[in-house]
Amino acid sequence: MNRKTTLLLALVLVLMLPLALRSGSLASEVLIYALAALACNLLLGYTGLLSFGQGIFFGLGSYTVALLLTRLALPTPLALAGAIAVGAAGAALVGAMAIRQRGAYFVMLTLAAAQMFYFIAYTATGLTGGDNGLLDIPRPASMDTPWKYYAFVAVIFMVVFWLLLRVTDSLFGRTLLAIRDNEARATALGYDIKRFKLQVFVISGAITGLAGGLHAMMTGIAPLSNMEYHTSEMILVITVIGGTGNLLASVLGAAFYILLADWLSTLWPRWLLLLGVLLIVVSTGMQRGLWGLCEAVVSRAARLIRRRPAGTAIDADGGST
Amino acid sequence: MSVYLLQTINGIGIGMLYFVLAVGLSIVFGLLRFVNFAHGAFYLLGAYLGFQLLAWGLDFGIALFVAPLIAGALGWATERLLLHRLYAKAHEFHILVTVGLALVIQEAVIVFWGPLGNTVQPPEWLQGVVIWGQFVYPKYRLFVIAFTAVLAGLLWWLLEGTRLGSIVRAGSESTEMVSLLGIDVFRIFGIVFGLGAATAALAGVLALPIRGAEPFMGVEALAVAFVIVVIGGLGSFGGALVGGLMIGVMQSLMSTLWPPGASLMIYITMAAVLLLRPHGLLGRPA
Repeated sequence: MNRKTTLLLALVLVLMLPLALRSGSLASEVLIYALAALACNLLLGYTGLLSFGQGIFFGLGSYTVALLLTRLALPTPLALAGAIAVGAAGAALVGAMAIRQRGAYFVMLTLAAAQMFYFIAYTATGLTGGDNGLLDIPRPASMDTPWKYYAFVAVIFMVVFWLLLRVTDSLFGRTLLAIRDNEARATALGYDIKRFKLQVFVISGAITGLAGGLHAMMTGIAPLSNMEYHTSEMILVITVIGGTGNLLASVLGAAFYILLADWLSTLWPRWLLLLGVLLIVVSTGMQRGLWGLCEAVVSRAARLIRRRPAGTAIDADGGST
Repeated sequence: MSVYLLQTINGIGIGMLYFVLAVGLSIVFGLLRFVNFAHGAFYLLGAYLGFQLLAWGLDFGIALFVAPLIAGALGWATERLLLHRLYAKAHEFHILVTVGLALVIQEAVIVFWGPLGNTVQPPEWLQGVVIWGQFVYPKYRLFVIAFTAVLAGLLWWLLEGTRLGSIVRAGSESTEMVSLLGIDVFRIFGIVFGLGAATAALAGVLALPIRGAEPFMGVEALAVAFVIVVIGGLGSFGGALVGGLMIGVMQSLMSTLWPPGASLMIYITMAAVLLLRPHGLLGRPA
């Protein structure tokens, strides 16, 4: 799939959400977690880095926006720019510590860092409100209703999506894929892989920080739970269930997760148990996630419609990576 | 008696518990080459199984034995039924399966035992304090130190003195080589994963009279176990012991100086060790 089709599909999705959903907040939430999942996918799908610390940057973004809007009364764009900057700075710090290690150590260090930031936020009550979080985050009058806010989030989402498409298509993005596929070879070819990893980590942290800031503005609060392990896990699960290595897959994953959570959590508070089972199924049986499933269905349908065996039919493993 | 001496002894007790918690993670990684994210969930499960057995009026000694046995059997079955099919697949998926498993265990615990925490008294014969001149100390905490010391000795013997142990250690160096020597090393994988789950569960039962049981403590236990193996070096028995004791003592001392920072101290210690020795105290540069 080329860049234009992907962008167009994302736009269709963003325009369809208001038609399909009744709640503007729910639609905004889908796009906000899609942003966070895109950032996670950039690490997992494009660089092969499994990060359990995405909640750190999400939480940092929430706190930053809350502090800048309530204490300094900055305009919204500046507050969000602050969230991006703090998310990036946090990622640089965590990345500098974790990227020195590889494989299992990297994964464990991201989780340990997530716990460290959680306890920092928990103890620094003057800045974060501790267990209570930060409350009463204002939103400008131009986005006072959920659907107006959705429009604002949607514009930001499309811009970030377009930027990420460019990044993944660039030489930089191709180098990340080379690192993912074979780190030793990329090193041998002369790439400074630690620098590349740190750069992609910072980009990921910046986007996640932005998502956290948007989330704080949506709910009006910056709770401690935005920085908890649970948030890191949720972002990662969305990314994996959607499917890695394709940007649209993360959007699909976010829509699936948020809508499923909205529906199931009212039926059965312990619905996360089913999610755990789904995660096991995806990891053991369908490693390309929901996106891979959709691709397989579409290509099979296309084959059925054609009837005749076309010489260049796309097989289930085809399509973009 | 000096409060610092008291807190150091407390720290050794907590540190030995941390050792029992982390050693299984370390051994499993050594042989199976992936990080088990369900390790904290087995600790959680052990605590709740222990709680249930005690609630049925069974003796603490029985709970200490039976709860790890059940968790170990579950771990063994998980490896046989789930993980076993995955070794040819990409590394991330091993981790993600265990993340899913951890979620299932945590939510199942809430379904069975509810979302609220529970506290447990030490068994009658371990209640009260030991008075030895100036030295006054809770009996249960002394028991934990003695019990875990014996356990550490047993585990060391299992790894260094038995045929199973030598297969595990050889398998950690090279799985292919051990297979070529005609040993069905993949059969050992299930036993080792079960052993890892059992030790985590044992730590959960031992910690029960000190920390109680609440459904979300698995994540914190997992993070602590990670910190310990990062400090000590993955796959190293001695590393888990040194890392566990170090974290336990640092945390206990901090809880006298500034109680809110006690949990934070665990991660500060880790960051400091990694700055000075990037591969851990006993780890080798890759």
